[in-house]
Amino acid sequence: MKNLSIISLFFIGLLFASCDKETPLPDPQPQPSNTGSIVFKFAHNVNGLALVKDSMMYTNTAGNKYEINEIKYFISDVILHNANGTYYSISNTDKHYVDNDIASTLTWNVGDNIPEGSYDSITFTFGITMAKNISNMFVNAPEIYMAWPEPLGGGYHYLMMNGKWEKAVDTINNFNFHIGIGQTYDGLGNIIGFVDNAFKVKLPASAFSISTSQTRVIQIVMNIESWFNSPIVWDFNIQGENIMQSQSAMSDACKNGADAFSIGYIN
Amino acid sequence: MKLFKYSFLSLVLCLAIVSCKKDEPIPTTTVTNDGPTPYVIQIPKFFPTILNIPADNPMTVEGIELGRYLFYDGRLTGKVDTLMSCATCHHIDKSFENGIGYGYGVTGIQTPHVMLPMINLVFNSSGYFWNGKISASNPNEHNRTLEDVVYLGLTAPHELHSDSVSCKNAIQNIPMYPPMFKKAFGSDVVTFKNIAKAIAQFVRTLISADSKFDRYLRGEAQLNASELKGYMIFNTEKGDCFHCHGTVLFTTNQFYNNATDSVFNDPRDRFAITGDPKDHGAYKATTLRNIELTGPYMRDGRFATLDQVINHYSEGLVWSPYVHPLMKKINDGGIQLTPTEKADLKAFLHTLMDSTFITNPAFKNPF
Repeated sequence: MKNLSIISLFFIGLLFASCDKETPLPDPQPQPSNTGSIVFKFAHNVNGLALVKDSMMYTNTAGNKYEINEIKYFISDVILHNANGTYYSISNTDKHYVDNDIASTLTWNVGDNIPEGSYDSITFTFGITMAKNISNMFVNAPEIYMAWPEPLGGGYHYLMMNGKWEKAVDTINNFNFHIGIGQTYDGLGNIIGFVDNAFKVKLPASAFSISTSQTRVIQIVMNIESWFNSPIVWDFNIQGENIMQSQSAMSDACKNGADAFSIGYIN
Repeated sequence: MKLFKYSFLSLVLCLAIVSCKKDEPIPTTTVTNDGPTPYVIQIPKFFPTILNIPADNPMTVEGIELGRYLFYDGRLTGKVDTLMSCATCHHIDKSFENGIGYGYGVTGIQTPHVMLPMINLVFNSSGYFWNGKISASNPNEHNRTLEDVVYLGLTAPHELHSDSVSCKNAIQNIPMYPPMFKKAFGSDVVTFKNIAKAIAQFVRTLISADSKFDRYLRGEAQLNASELKGYMIFNTEKGDCFHCHGTVLFTTNQFYNNATDSVFNDPRDRFAITGDPKDHGAYKATTLRNIELTGPYMRDGRFATLDQVINHYSEGLVWSPYVHPLMKKINDGGIQLTPTEKADLKAFLHTLMDSTFITNPAFKNPF
C-alpha cells in the first residue's frame, strides 16, 4: 500500500463526512424547569443469557463456534424522542465509552436535567459520527486505547470486540471484530477515501415517562449474537477475522449491529 | 546492574568518596515562607492529563532536586561495602534502563525480570512492573505507588538490599542533605518515607516527548520514505503494532500474552496478580520510545536486537490457549513481513529515539 499524505486523507475525509450529513432534526423543545434524571446501565448477553466470557460455548448462525474475550465500544448522541416530533438530546456528555471489563463504564449517569414528560423512544449513534470522531480528543485511559490509526481514518474505534473461534477441529483462531472509520481503496491498494460507519440505533420498546426529581434507570442490553446473524449471516471464513481494513465487512457488521441493542428494563 | 563485591578496597574507596563529598556545595533552591515551590509538570501535546501523583507527595522543585541527588548518590544504602545507587542500573544514556538485561543486586542476586525503562511513568496509572503488581488497586497499601517502587528498589535483595534505618541514617549524616530535606519536606530529619518520596518525584519528571517522530507530528521534521513505510506498517493491520503500542506513549500500559511461549511457570506474570487464567504468560506492553536503547527485549531479555523482536512478530509466534486475541496472525506464525518491510518497520522504530531526553541536564548526575 502506498502512502498518501495526511493532509490529502484529511480533506478526503472531510468530503465524505459532508456527504454523510443527515437531515437535521427539528429544534428541540424548550427546557422546562421541572426535570428528572437518567442513569443508563449497560449489559451484554448472548440470545438472552448473560455473556460468559473466555469460554468457547457459543455458535453463531453460520455454525462458527466462538468465545468473547473483550467488548469495548462508544455510543454517542443519545436522543429522547417525543411523540410530537420534538426531542431532548443528551448534551452534558455526548459520548460514552463502555468496557465490559471496567465496571464503572457500565453505569452512565448522563448528568442532564431531563424535562419531565413522556418520551416514546430512545435513539443513539453506535460509534461516533465522523464529524465528531476527532483524533486525540481523548488523551486519558481507557478511551485513549480505542484510538483508530490515522492512516485508516483516525479518531477512535466504535467497537473493539475480541475473541477466538474454532476454524477447524483443533484449530482456534483469534478474531478482532473492530469497527470504525472505513476506507476505500483503488486497484493498487491505495486509500482514496474514508467512510463514516457510525450508525443510528433506535431502541425498541423504549418509551418511558419521567417526572420532576425522578431518576430513571434504563438498562441497555447488547446481544452479542446479533452482530453475527441478521441480516448478514456472519461467517468468519467469509467476512474475515480482522476487518478494520475491509469496508465491506464493516458495512455488513454495521447492518447486523442495528438490532443488537434492546431495553433490559426501565426503572 | 553490577555486582559490588565485599572487599577492603571497596570499603576504602567508599569512605574516601564519602569523605570527599562532604564539602560539596548544597544545591540552591528557592524557598519561600510558605514551603517548597510547587512544580507543575508540563504535559506535552496529546499526552495524558491524568497524572499518577499521589495526594501525599505533591511535586515540588525542592523535592525533585533532592530526589535527583539521592537517585545518583552511591551512599544511599548506608552500607559501607557498596556504592550502589539507583543510577548504577538506571543509566540516562539507556533511557534509565541498564541496557544489558537482567540486573544484579548488591549481593549478586539476579532480578526476576529484565529492567523496564523509566520513561513517562507519571502517565501510567495501570500498574508498575512487568505484571503491574504495583498499582492503586493492590490490596496491599505498600504496593500501590511509585514511592513503593522506590522502597522496593532500596530494600529488595536483588537490588540495593538496604534497610530503612541504614538508608536514613546514612543520608542524615551527610551534611548536604538535612537542609535539602528541610527545604523539600519542612524538616531536616531524614525519613525513609521522604527519601522514597523525593526519588519518586524526580522519576516523575522523566518525560520523553521529543523524538524525531514527535517532531514530525509537530511539523518540525520529515520522515524519510522507509520510515514512512514503517509508520504505515506499524499503524495498519499489516503490522498491527498500534493496538498494544499505540498512543503517544507507544504503549497502552496493558498486559498481553504476546505468543512467546507455550509453557507458563513464571510466578510473576500477570496471572500472578489477577488469578485470571487468560493472563497466563501476560506481561506489560513496554513503551517503544527509545526502544533502540533498551534491549535486550521481552521480560526475560530473550531477544538481543530489534531485528529479533521483529522476526518474532513476523514468523516466530508460539501458539497457546492464552495468546491474546490481538495476536491475530497466531496461526500463521506471525504477520509475515518481507525483509524490506522489516527494515522499514525498524526504521520507523528508530524515529522514536529521543536524544533530548537522554541528554537533558535536568536528568543528569548532579555530582
